[in-house]
Amino acid sequence: MAAAPLPDFNMAEPALWQPGTDDTLECVLVRDETHDVKTFVFRSQQPRRFRYLPGQFITLELEINGAAINRCYTLSSTPTRPDTVSITVKRVPNGPVSNWLHDHMQVGQTVKVLGPSGEFSCFLHDRPKYLFLSAGSGITPLMSMSRALTDLVLDRDVVFVHSARSPADVIFAREQQALARNNPSFRHAVICERAGADRDYAGYQGFLSLATLSNIAPDFREREVFTCGPAPYMAAVRKILEAAGFNMQQYHEESFAFETLMGGAEEAQPPAAAAGEGYTIRFAKSGDEVRCAPPQTILAAAKATGMRLASSCTQGLCGTCKTKMLSGQVDMKHAGGIRQREIDQGFILPCCSVPLSDVVLDR
Amino acid sequence: MSSSPIHLHGKPLNLADMLARRQQGYSLEAPFYTSREVFDADMEHIFGKHWIYVGVEPDVPEPGDYVTVQVGEKPILIVRDDDGEIRAFHNVCRHRGSRLCADERGAVGNLVCPYHQWTYNLQGQLLFAEHMGADFDPSKHRLGTVHLKNVAGLLFICLADEPPADFEELAATMTPYIAPHQVANTKIAKQIDIIEQGNWKLTMENNRECYHCTGNHPELTISLYAYSYGFAPTPETDEGVRRYDAMVAERHAKWESMGLPSAEVDRLDSMISGFRTQRMPLDKTGESQTLNTRRACNRLLANFEDGAIGGLSFWTQPNSWHHFMGDHIVTFMVMPLDQDRTLVRTKWLVHKDAVEGVDYQIDNMTAVWDATNAQDRRLVEESHLGVKSPAYRPGPYSPYTETLVEKFSNWYINRLSAYIK
Repeated sequence: MAAAPLPDFNMAEPALWQPGTDDTLECVLVRDETHDVKTFVFRSQQPRRFRYLPGQFITLELEINGAAINRCYTLSSTPTRPDTVSITVKRVPNGPVSNWLHDHMQVGQTVKVLGPSGEFSCFLHDRPKYLFLSAGSGITPLMSMSRALTDLVLDRDVVFVHSARSPADVIFAREQQALARNNPSFRHAVICERAGADRDYAGYQGFLSLATLSNIAPDFREREVFTCGPAPYMAAVRKILEAAGFNMQQYHEESFAFETLMGGAEEAQPPAAAAGEGYTIRFAKSGDEVRCAPPQTILAAAKATGMRLASSCTQGLCGTCKTKMLSGQVDMKHAGGIRQREIDQGFILPCCSVPLSDVVLDR
Repeated sequence: MSSSPIHLHGKPLNLADMLARRQQGYSLEAPFYTSREVFDADMEHIFGKHWIYVGVEPDVPEPGDYVTVQVGEKPILIVRDDDGEIRAFHNVCRHRGSRLCADERGAVGNLVCPYHQWTYNLQGQLLFAEHMGADFDPSKHRLGTVHLKNVAGLLFICLADEPPADFEELAATMTPYIAPHQVANTKIAKQIDIIEQGNWKLTMENNRECYHCTGNHPELTISLYAYSYGFAPTPETDEGVRRYDAMVAERHAKWESMGLPSAEVDRLDSMISGFRTQRMPLDKTGESQTLNTRRACNRLLANFEDGAIGGLSFWTQPNSWHHFMGDHIVTFMVMPLDQDRTLVRTKWLVHKDAVEGVDYQIDNMTAVWDATNAQDRRLVEESHLGVKSPAYRPGPYSPYTETLVEKFSNWYINRLSAYIK
């Protein structure tokens, strides 16, 4: 692979990265974070700058063993360093996507990407004090927020409590220390289930509890809480907070796009836009309904819920997914796979159509 | 191909010898009509190396419209691209060979193989092929192109790598004749395919003479002058011929003054891309090949004000004939299916704004050629049954009414001889 040219900082900034147009990213760095966690850094093929909310996710469109699989990953990168984005992925036993990324994603490889998207961000909730709670690779959106707050010197009081299986499993351990050095209002703590091989480990042991939390952040009730981790972990966090009389209006959690920490074998099914988010896509013949939140395409939303729709290129080229739209409005960016007269007759290509309203398809 | 395993009634024959000994003015030896080996040579050399007629511009009126045609074992796809250009491709996916378009006609965005969705644009470039890996170079897997020429709205293809160059002369000569009828501004009112149980050369020979017309085509001969396709002169015919020739001279002068070239051009066996044309008077009202010779469509073609412009006839070697009138066009494609079966495709074209049931009644428009096709089919099939008999011997063509048959056969023998040594 030819080395990328150095940028000319005298020139105007490159344009913003546009999902849908610049839909391909190139892997430019693979970094080992722990023994089973890697960070994959991506750059746009054209000079582009990324702009997103810290905490948002992107959707990778992958072909694995002949199957089209879409997976959402929260970005671990920060928009304050806008020339690249990164995801941080933990290997999961029997996890087809995480293992595939670990085994096959290399520098120089390209990947199709949708997004960024999502509402899980402290930048949508301006408060003086935050509590970030994460477990396993759920650390990534909170790391993105922490990096952004630090880079921008926003002087928000952050306490970051990360749970891991053992000290060897703590992701971004040294960077958390660096954040604490660089940002006087940032504090971090680690809770490990066990010390493992690390005889020197002197941090918190066991699981997050009200007692531990009260030790680390006695003022946690004043803080806006952002939680990301496996479902059992988040359920435990909610229970602790509710039991402590915490105002759950100040509680936010990310419900997808991480891989299980607590020994769960299966990866969570991706996005399935949260109830209430996006639009309803109804399939008249099958009676199926899916939620689709822009910029997700109708095909991606349907596939994410396990529906099987005939499709191939996913780029609006081949027309394999062509479907009559009985009602609704979409933003379709096709690439020649459909004729204007077909569009005039009400046909769309779900693979490149993002809903602008609820949609009913003749399928 | 020096010695072909052709058999006639159990005895081996040599195609080169058969070609060499063909007697001018006589019909062909039986194996030319009946043998599989000659048929294969016909498909390889006649239909594989010459310009053949396949359809009309209104077959593909809009970008994305396509038609398919089968030439022997070669499925061909004709499509109009997004720039309005009409292109021909081998209808064969570069992946594992599946036909891209199975229907006879349709409309596409891009060309997508139904098997594994390899996707080509309408210029034949491979745009998308899944699962082929990083080293796969789509630019090395374009669709196979086929030469296509559009002669004033008539579409001809050539499957040879280097097509006969003299087709340019055909196009240059014929364009002024055909262009006034504005084929591109028509639509296909009806298309009929019939399969004749006979060899394609019998179909063509039958088309190239009207010796059989009086005895077989009561509908067609309503509008045809008896003198227009040759006759053996006798004292009784002299007066009729004189009046017919005078009328042709007078009509030709009138039509030429209207910008309608009319004079006969005959290159049927003097060019590789053999053809013939002439604008011919029609009898009675002189308007159209209908049962009453009146126009079948009230919306005339182009901007014709006068419907009585006779019929411009155009014949091409090896596989077409056409009649252009003031109100409609009838066009015929002949495509060999095997040595014993031949597809005859007839299309009736009318002004694209003409409304069926208002400007024209389709049954009225097609009545003459529906009847004539059925009659010709019987003639060809009876001939085919006869030439298979050991009793068949090549017979003499009429030097008056079968000169164009002789030109067809002569062209065919010469063209095949150019490749069979």
